[in-house]
Amino acid sequence: MSMIEFKDVEKYYGDFHALHDINLEVEAGETVVLLGPSGSGKSTLIRTINGLESIEGGQLIVNNQDLANPKTDLNRLRKDVGMVFQHFNLYDNKTILENIMIAPRLVLKRDEAENKETAMGLLERVGLTDQANKYPSQLSGGQKQRVAIARSLAMKPKALLFDEPTSALDPEMVNGVLKIMREIAQDSSMTMLVVTHEMGFAKQVADRVIFMADGKILEDAPTAKFFEHPEEERARQFLSQIVH
Amino acid sequence: MQMKQVAGAAFSFFAAGLLMSGVTQTTVHAASSDKNETYERIQKTHKMNWGVKGDTKLMGLMNIESGKLEGFDIDMAKEITKRVDPKAKVELTQITSGTRVPMLLNGNIDSIIATMTITPEREKVVDFSEPYFNAGQSLLVKNSSDVKNIKDLDRKGARILGVQGSNSIENVKKFAPKARIVALPDYATALTALQSGQGDALTTDNGILYGMAVDNKGVKVVGGTFTTEPYGIAVDKDNPKLVKAINDAVDDMKSDGTYDKLAKKWFNDVPGMDWKEVAK
Amino acid sequence: MWSLFTSHASEFLTGFGWTILSSVIALIGSTILGLGFALLQIVPNRWANLVGKIYIEIVRNIPLLVITMFFYVVVANIFKLNGFISGTIGLTLYTSAFIAETIRAGINAVDSGQYEGGRANGMSWWETMRYIVLPQAIHLVIPPLGNQFVNLIKNSSVLAFVAGLDLMYQANMISQLTFDTFNPYIIVAIFYLMLTMPLSYYMRYLEEKNAH
Repeated sequence: MSMIEFKDVEKYYGDFHALHDINLEVEAGETVVLLGPSGSGKSTLIRTINGLESIEGGQLIVNNQDLANPKTDLNRLRKDVGMVFQHFNLYDNKTILENIMIAPRLVLKRDEAENKETAMGLLERVGLTDQANKYPSQLSGGQKQRVAIARSLAMKPKALLFDEPTSALDPEMVNGVLKIMREIAQDSSMTMLVVTHEMGFAKQVADRVIFMADGKILEDAPTAKFFEHPEEERARQFLSQIVH
Repeated sequence: MQMKQVAGAAFSFFAAGLLMSGVTQTTVHAASSDKNETYERIQKTHKMNWGVKGDTKLMGLMNIESGKLEGFDIDMAKEITKRVDPKAKVELTQITSGTRVPMLLNGNIDSIIATMTITPEREKVVDFSEPYFNAGQSLLVKNSSDVKNIKDLDRKGARILGVQGSNSIENVKKFAPKARIVALPDYATALTALQSGQGDALTTDNGILYGMAVDNKGVKVVGGTFTTEPYGIAVDKDNPKLVKAINDAVDDMKSDGTYDKLAKKWFNDVPGMDWKEVAK
Repeated sequence: MWSLFTSHASEFLTGFGWTILSSVIALIGSTILGLGFALLQIVPNRWANLVGKIYIEIVRNIPLLVITMFFYVVVANIFKLNGFISGTIGLTLYTSAFIAETIRAGINAVDSGQYEGGRANGMSWWETMRYIVLPQAIHLVIPPLGNQFVNLIKNSSVLAFVAGLDLMYQANMISQLTFDTFNPYIIVAIFYLMLTMPLSYYMRYLEEKNAH
């Protein structure tokens, strides 16, 4: 069963054609990495999946909900589709614990004791139990991103979208975040879509790789095949630049 | 204690500011304390600057089309100037009830002819000529109103409209102590307020009220006059020569028929008004 | 000056009372309205945005006195509104447009990632505003909001034009009764300072407290 399905999707920013005739299917439980040079439309694509960006043409079905239909309840959709941003987007006015607890409390009406227990459990999982009562401004970038992942997991989503989760981090912080993402990917029920430049992570974790350039999907291949025998010239160029 | 200090500090701050700009009342008085200063200034400069009304039909009103001030007071000012100093040019400055006295004391204007009633309080601050016009306070009401005279307004809940700075609002308190006074900045606002039901009647001198009734069909003057309001020409204190010259000029106008001519010109066509009455 | 105050104490104090009452009503009213119109301008609905924009552009570009006179002489034909009520309504509406603009600017100054974070996390537009964006915006707008409140108190002198019984009205009356055009206004200025200075200091205190 497919979790995410793009059919002939088009996206414009004014005159700029950001997404060209996108066709893509992601199965539930799959881990897919999006690669491509900057400005290729990866982030735009991933942001259409939870409705942060609207689409102008085609059909986009996520978790059986039609995003081309303006009547679709995006709040309901987003309960099941979490997102982790490049710049974390933690709530600056809330403590770390509150950052994790607020959406389950308001959106899922989760019982307060259970909510706290879940949140503390997630903080333990990302190794930040002792930071629970601090504010985001007191944390390092890597710590913030781990909190952001915990915040997304607290909603118990079916799918998680990662938009360049390690690009804004200092190099020594990257591994801690990737380690957690790897653990999440091992959960067979979680659908993951990751925009990243971390080739090692992609090789190790992804089931499939999507290669994008100029707003188009140029290649969609199993991970091993993509890295060993990329079909497209643009993909080969891209890989040679990144790897060396 | 602390409040006093704050107030004291704030006051000294203001006082210092005003001293620097040189506009405190003490300096004003010092500057104009020379006897007959205004009179001598008129004789020297051959200019006589009058403070007049610009918003009062029949007495002093700015004609929007011609941009000129017109009215009985304006014509009086011109005729008096001719007689005080035949060479003098007439200058007219629009004043309001609020600004007229400070402007006179500052020397911005030489005299005021602007529906100003002679009262003992005012005589402490300025000098007046003999009365040149006998007005009386009256009431203006909507045509639909039941109010017939001032007695009808002496009840709780009655609201009498007036204009800030006119002595008519002080007077009316004596005649209708139970009514509430609503004082507005000018006659136009007061008249609009009457029409909008913000008051039961508008009170001021009958000359002014007749002027309003001429132009506005929905209102009428009722109840006759309940005070006498002798209008005088005001000049700065310590100017006996100017006061005398003005008094002589008015007497002269009365004896040579100029005064009657002006009164007839402005008041003859006003329904309900007897111009001979005011000109006594 | 002291003797002028003591001989007209009841008028000054009455005026002070009406000025305080009008300012407090207008302060509460304009803050609520201002917040409402700020949100109306940014809510994801084009018609609501338009309504908010039209209201703000009209109200803040008309002199306060004109708005007040509109209620005093036009609306009063339909509803009974005396000078105090007309003036207070005028003051509330006029100030609300400026507060709306101030709050809207504050909301726009909050990093858009805060809003996206909330929405992507499943919270509704209103929940994201209420719990994430507005608390951060309010923090940013306290200093300019304080200026608006001080302006509001000073602008309450518009009541004098419609016989609203406030401080300035009483000063006009006293000045014209006594022919003293100086001291009544000094006394009134001190009364205004007694309201505006503590308010300024309180807003500054809030600003500093919030900085931590």
